[in-house]
Amino acid sequence: MWQVLSGVFLGWSLGSNDASNVFGTAVASRMVRFWTAAVLCSVFVILGAMLEGGAGMETYAKLLDNQSNPNLAFAVGLAAAITVTVMSYLALPVSTSQAVVGAMVLVGVMESTLDTGSLTKVVLCWVGTPIGAAACTVVFYFVLGKLMNRANLTMFAYDRYIRWGLIGAGSYGAYALGANNVANVTGPFVGEGMLTVTQACALGSVSIALGVLTYSRKVMMTVGRDLVQLDAFTALVAILSEAVTVHIYAIIGVPVSTSQAIVGAVLGVGLIKGVRTIQMKTLAKILFGWVGTPAISAGIAWLCYIGLGKAGML
Amino acid sequence: MFWGKTRRVETMLSEYFDRCDSCFEQFERAFEIYFDEGPETSFDDAVQGVHRAEAASDDLRREIEYLLYGKALLPESRGDLLGLLETFDKLPNIAETVAFLFSCQRMTLPEDLHPAYKGLLRVNVESYRLARRTVDTVMTNPKATLYATKDVENKESESDRLERDLIRSIYSRDMPMGDKLALKEAVLLIGTISDRAERLADRVAIIAIKRQI
Repeated sequence: MWQVLSGVFLGWSLGSNDASNVFGTAVASRMVRFWTAAVLCSVFVILGAMLEGGAGMETYAKLLDNQSNPNLAFAVGLAAAITVTVMSYLALPVSTSQAVVGAMVLVGVMESTLDTGSLTKVVLCWVGTPIGAAACTVVFYFVLGKLMNRANLTMFAYDRYIRWGLIGAGSYGAYALGANNVANVTGPFVGEGMLTVTQACALGSVSIALGVLTYSRKVMMTVGRDLVQLDAFTALVAILSEAVTVHIYAIIGVPVSTSQAIVGAVLGVGLIKGVRTIQMKTLAKILFGWVGTPAISAGIAWLCYIGLGKAGML
Repeated sequence: MFWGKTRRVETMLSEYFDRCDSCFEQFERAFEIYFDEGPETSFDDAVQGVHRAEAASDDLRREIEYLLYGKALLPESRGDLLGLLETFDKLPNIAETVAFLFSCQRMTLPEDLHPAYKGLLRVNVESYRLARRTVDTVMTNPKATLYATKDVENKESESDRLERDLIRSIYSRDMPMGDKLALKEAVLLIGTISDRAERLADRVAIIAIKRQI
């Protein structure tokens, strides 16, 4: 059972990174205290994982067909966790889902147990994440914008609605994060038969929450400041779009990246407002997420795989 | 938990605008005394009243600014309110400056120019009141703000016309150049009230437009 520690490590690093995508704006603009955001985020991550986290677990279980070596799950978790931690340290865009899948594909190829059908589904959903988030942004921008214009809100009422909206969207985003991303953390262990889906959801979500509570402040402030540069309304629309997109994929059962979803949502804002410079930068981020992250994670997983083989643990 | 500071800002802002109104009431009263009695002791006392009201509004403005710097409201609302306060503050400031000009320089106006100066003062105080109304409008019915700002613009144009007529009249007189310059300075300074009122209305319009999506 010690092998699940790599999942806990991965959950912790995921929590410390991805909380910024849902509560960064509210915290960086100081309208919600860090601790309030961290507690709300942790509670909703756990709720999301426990209520809707099971579907993604099953997708990962299928990805590595007929696999029954706990050390391989350990290698996947460790490779992904190292990738996420190192890339976060280097301040490079990182997606936990893509890191986990990169490592799982490497293990699947080495063991000849890769289910290409499930992999295709996952990769198609990756492509769909930023596109879906951008589309949601366009729709929400016009629908919410029309509603707010019709409401003829005063400056203070506008401020209040946006702030409640950011807290609501942040909490919903945290719920979607838990529902979708818990599979990244402990999904490989369900595939190996080491944990039941419920145990995996509980362990994964608590480790994510631990990451949020202990180490997310810095990333929240950094990502949040970037988002705050959007005006408050578009920031709200971006976070809501990210949350809805990630939640839809949680229902489908494919773990996707909240970072890619938020980048896609910001790209949607760029499309509405016609900001070309943002689009090029965000496109580069998305492409790196699709190719760079899984490739690096697969490389680290290969090293772990070789190491485990030499130690006679395979 | 989240909205305590916002409510405080709302309350203090309303109190601040009331203090500015009071400053302009004192300003009007001071000039009623001036035109009745000239630049005598009772006028000086009334000017002190303008000064006290201006100082009281300044104190409250600073308190609101500290509260805003302490991260009340969203960053963009914070920026808009700080800008609004900064622009609004220039109105009681200029009222005080005009009052002190008449008091410190013991300015006496030619009797036949009294109606023109009274008219100019009235139009400028009205422009303040109209600008103040734009602020009320943006706080209660933002969609009507642009109509309200139009009224301030019209009043500023009216003030400009009165200023030009008055300066023409001053320079057509047979009096020492120094006196003419002093009278012109007073005209221009009074006219600054409506210029600043117009600037305030423009800022208010931007606040309203920014929130239209």
